[in-house]
Amino acid sequence: MGYRTMATDDARKRNWIGWVFFADLLNGLALTLSYLFSKTVTMRYPDKEKWTPYPRFRGHHFLLTDQAGKIKCVACELCARICPCSCITVVPHEDQNGERHPKVFEVDTARCLFCGLCEDACPVEAIALGQLYEFSAYSSGDLRVGRDELLSKPGKTRQGGNVIAARLNTDEGVRVEPKEEDEDGHDWWTRLRRK
Amino acid sequence: MELALAVALITAKVVIVTAILLILPIPLTWLERKIAGHIQQRLGPMRVGWHGVLQPVADGLKLLTKEDNIPVEADRRLFKLAPIISLVPPFVVFVAIPFGDSFSLLGAEITLYISDMNVGLLFIFAVAGLEVYGVIFGGWASNSKYALLGSLRCCAQLISYEIPMGFSVIGVVMLAQSMSLLDIVNAQADVWYVVYQPLGFFVFFVAGLAEAQRIPFDLAEAEGELGAGFHTEYSGMRFSFFMISEYVVMVTISVLCVILFFGGWNGFLIPLPPLIWFILKVGFFIYLFMWFRFTFPRYRYDQLMAIGWKVLLPLSLANILLTGLFIV
Ligand code: SF4
Ligand code: SF4
Repeated sequence: MGYRTMATDDARKRNWIGWVFFADLLNGLALTLSYLFSKTVTMRYPDKEKWTPYPRFRGHHFLLTDQAGKIKCVACELCARICPCSCITVVPHEDQNGERHPKVFEVDTARCLFCGLCEDACPVEAIALGQLYEFSAYSSGDLRVGRDELLSKPGKTRQGGNVIAARLNTDEGVRVEPKEEDEDGHDWWTRLRRK
Repeated sequence: MELALAVALITAKVVIVTAILLILPIPLTWLERKIAGHIQQRLGPMRVGWHGVLQPVADGLKLLTKEDNIPVEADRRLFKLAPIISLVPPFVVFVAIPFGDSFSLLGAEITLYISDMNVGLLFIFAVAGLEVYGVIFGGWASNSKYALLGSLRCCAQLISYEIPMGFSVIGVVMLAQSMSLLDIVNAQADVWYVVYQPLGFFVFFVAGLAEAQRIPFDLAEAEGELGAGFHTEYSGMRFSFFMISEYVVMVTISVLCVILFFGGWNGFLIPLPPLIWFILKVGFFIYLFMWFRFTFPRYRYDQLMAIGWKVLLPLSLANILLTGLFIV
């Protein structure tokens, strides 16, 4: 009992002294000062750094080919059907061997909401959403992407979720190119200070 | 001939001081944004010039080219007058502020102040008090709720903090037996007055924060509740006038803190040129203002009034009493 009152008295005295000398304000100032000298977490995109998305990221579409290098798509139009924005246009075409392939395969990325339903619906896994996210354009017409361009778009990579060194290139459109020497980059999350 | 030379000298000094004060907000805004950034683990401006040093210039150009909006319902004459009224007093204050003693150039004695008034301190408080008109006119002439509320708050705040601020320097005047800032600084050659007047300094500093409309007392432009307070309706150059005046007031308060309580250009331990000492000390106070800004939240309006009238005023009166006893 005696111990307890002493402790509370002590705490009260400390509080009183702290109150007179603004202990709480000084605590706050010390905290912000320590933050002032801690590492910044700003990702310097697009000048110096760039974020590589995770493999699960849903970016620009791409069309896949089989081992023989032929387009996988069988022009079943399921993706066009399921697309909530009706932004996929498929015109089927049958070649001499009786194989169905798309004559026209166009995705209007200006209207696409990157839901990934087309990827889920495809029965032959011919279409997927990759990790590319820099494809801004001056006119929405330029965002209609045709079959051959979709075939040439980069596919998925295994790694991702890092910040890598990069440089800004504005020669044609705005592109941030990764620098070769820094393939792996650093994990942005470890730099965050959580106190 | 002699008269012409004196007039030329004074004119040159006025022009130099005005130019420095007009340019000063440029590095200060940059510094403030950098400090804000790093306190929040950001980098702050980075893209214009080396580490963004030219960002304020870019912002200034942007403000210059912005459309100059005057609300239809506004009182046009007052609306145009207000930014100028709020800009001029902070500059006029510097007439009475010394930046150092004198030095000789080409055989002539050149003093580092524009004028050494024997009522310098009184002059400073009188002129600085005029700044409130700019804010009141601005808020009133805008004819908008936010602006009016902001200027009402600002008005009440400036008036209630002017009193403890005025009282807090009486201790200094009693110790130095003079109202001339030059004499006050010279009297601190051995011991800075912050040693004798810690209470006075505390009251002066807190009231100074309020006078400069800095967080935690920036109720006049409380972004969260009033849009931008008294300058809500201002844009372009007129808006930048208010900004410049805010920074100049901040410099004024820092300079006054240094002159009245921290020995002005008197050095301490390390022998540096007096002007360098002065600039270092003022810089420290400016940094303190910015550091406070990004640490503390804003006080509520009733808390602001309670601090002013129930805490600072009795403290400043007690300080006068104590100083009187101390001198006797
Ligand atoms: S991601 Fe969604 S919106 Fe975009 S094309 Fe595929 S299904 Fe349509
Ligand atoms: S991409 Fe898949 S779902 Fe779409 S048409 Fe081709 S095969 Fe069918």
